[in-house]
Amino acid sequence: MINPYYLQIASFILINIILGLSIYITLSTGQLSLGNAGFMSIGAYTSALLTVKVGLPMVAGILAGSLLAFLIGILIGIPTLRLQGVYLAIATLGFGEVVRVLFINWESLTSGAVGIAGIPHLGRTMLAGLQERGFSSEQWGLKNNEFISLTIFIILLAITVLLLAFFSRLFASRVGRAFRAIRLDEKAAEAMGIHTTYYKILTFSMGALLAGFAGALFAHVTGYISPADFTYHRAVEILVFAVFGGSEVLWGPVFGALFLTVMPEMLRGMSEYRYFIYGTILVVMMVFRPQGVLDQPLLDRLRGRRGGGGDDAA
Amino acid sequence: MFFEQLINGITLGSIYAIVALGYTLVFGVLDIINMAHGEIFMFGAFVGMLLISYFEAPVLLALGGAVLVTAAMGLLLERLALRPLRGKKGASHLASLISTIGVSIILENLAHHLFGAGNKPFPTSFADASFTVGSTTVYLVQVIILVIAVLLMVGLSLWLRKAKAGKALRATAENLETASLLGINTGRIIVSTVVVASAMGGIAGVLVGMAFNYVNNQMGLPMGLKGLAIIILGGMGSVNGAMAGGLILGLAETFVVAYGNSGYRDAIAFVAIIVILLIRPQGIFGQALPEAKR
Repeated sequence: MINPYYLQIASFILINIILGLSIYITLSTGQLSLGNAGFMSIGAYTSALLTVKVGLPMVAGILAGSLLAFLIGILIGIPTLRLQGVYLAIATLGFGEVVRVLFINWESLTSGAVGIAGIPHLGRTMLAGLQERGFSSEQWGLKNNEFISLTIFIILLAITVLLLAFFSRLFASRVGRAFRAIRLDEKAAEAMGIHTTYYKILTFSMGALLAGFAGALFAHVTGYISPADFTYHRAVEILVFAVFGGSEVLWGPVFGALFLTVMPEMLRGMSEYRYFIYGTILVVMMVFRPQGVLDQPLLDRLRGRRGGGGDDAA
Repeated sequence: MFFEQLINGITLGSIYAIVALGYTLVFGVLDIINMAHGEIFMFGAFVGMLLISYFEAPVLLALGGAVLVTAAMGLLLERLALRPLRGKKGASHLASLISTIGVSIILENLAHHLFGAGNKPFPTSFADASFTVGSTTVYLVQVIILVIAVLLMVGLSLWLRKAKAGKALRATAENLETASLLGINTGRIIVSTVVVASAMGGIAGVLVGMAFNYVNNQMGLPMGLKGLAIIILGGMGSVNGAMAGGLILGLAETFVVAYGNSGYRDAIAFVAIIVILLIRPQGIFGQALPEAKR
C-alpha cells in the first residue's frame, strides 16, 4: 500500500505546489518574477552548505536559506518594483542567470557544476533521530525506506496545508484586498491610499521567501543539488504551474502543480516533449484563457454542484 | 594588446547592438518584450551554420537564408502568439510576455530535436585570415562582421528616417491610434516590425556564428538577456540607445574578460541592469518616464 515511488511523486507535487504559490503571490499584485529558480537555488544552497559544511541542524539551515532568499528578494525588488512590470521580469530573469553563474564559478564554496552531494536527508534524519529513542520502523509494520518516504510526505503535506491556510486567510484580509486592488489598477489603488510600492515589494519578497523555502526542502528531500537544477527552465516550469492552473485564485497554482507533475509521470513517453508542451500551454492559455484553468466563476460552479470533484476542471 | 581588445569589444558590441535593435523595434511599436527573440536569433545562427557547412554557401547566401527563415518565424510569431492577444479585453500586459516565453521554450526544444545538443562547428573559409596594422592583429572575420553590422545599422536608421514605411513605423511607435487615424495601416506596420526585428536577429545569429565559430541550441537565452539589458541601458524603444548600449556592453565584457575573471562575463549585463535602474531608470537615451507609460 505504501509505495515509495508514489510517495516520492507526491512529495515533489507538494514542493511544486509551494513553488507555484511563490509565483502566485508575486503575481497577485500583477508582477511577474522570472527569478524564482534563482531564489530557490539560494535557499537550497544556503541550507545545504550550512548543514553539510557548518554542521547546523536541518531546521536552522532551512530557515536561514528561506531568510536569505527573502532578504535578497527585498534587495532586488526595491530598485525594480518602482518601475513597470516588464522591468521586473527582465531583471529577475537576469538575476536567476547570475545566481546560477555565481554557483557554477564559486567552486571553493559550491563545488561548481558538480554540485553538492550528501546533504542531510529529511526522512533519514528523522528516522535516525527516532531510532535513538528506541523506535524502529517495524513497530509500525513498515520497512525503513517506506517509513522515510512516508515521513517526508507527511511533513511536506503538513507544511503545504499550513501555507495554504495562511495564504487563504491572508488573501481574505485587508492586505489581500490591497494586493487585488493593485493588480486590477495600480493608479486607482494608489489614489485610494494603498502604499503600492510597499505591497509590491512585500509580495515579491514573500514569493522569494517561499521559493527559497521550497528550494531548501528540495535539497533535503533529494540529498543532492547542482546548478543544473535551477536553470531558466525551472523558472518557466514554476510559471507554467500558475499560468496553467490559474493565476487569479489560490487553488490555481495548486491544481497546476498537481496536474503538471502527475501528467509526465503517467505518460512516460511524453517526458521528452515536456517543454514543448509547457511552451504550447503558455501560448494557448494566453490566447484562450489568460486567467488559467481555474478561476473564480468555475470554482463557484464546482462548489455549487457539491461533490462534482476537482478533476472535472481539466 | 589594448587595441586588439578594443577591436574585439567593438565587434562583439556591434553584434549585441543588432540583437538589441530587434528588441527595441518591437518594444517601440508594440510595447511588448519579445522573449522569443533570443531563440529566433539562435535559429538564424543554425540556418547559417547548415548552409555554410553542408552546402558550402558563401557568407552572403548564409545571411540571406537566415534572414528568410527568421523573417518567416517572425511572421508566425506575430500571427500565433501576438495578434490573438492584441486588443483582447482583460488580457494583462504580462500576457504577451508569457506567450512569447512559451514560443521561446518551444523553439529552444525544437532546435534541440532538430540539431541535437552540444556545440556545432561554424566553419568559415576565412576564419584564420588576419592582417597586421602596426603591432595590432586584425582578423578578417572582425572586419566583415563590423562592415555588415554598420551597413545594417546605417540602413535601418536611414529607412526609419527617410522611407515612407519607416516613417509610418515611427508614427505607429509614437501613438498607434493616432497613426491609424492618419491612414497608416498599423496592422501591417506591426507585422513588418516583428518580421524586420526577427530578420535582424537572424543576421546577428550568423554574425555570432562567424565570430565564435560554433553554434548551439542554448545560445538564445544568454544573448536574449544581453539584448534586454542593452535596451534597458540605452532606453526602452530607443534605436540610438540600442546601438550605444550594445557597444558599451560589448566593450565592458571584452575588457572584463581580458583583465579580470572570464567566468563572470555573463553577469555584467545583469549588473548593468541594476545599476541603470537605480541611477537612471529611463536609460541613457530614454525620455519618457517609465512610470508614466504603461
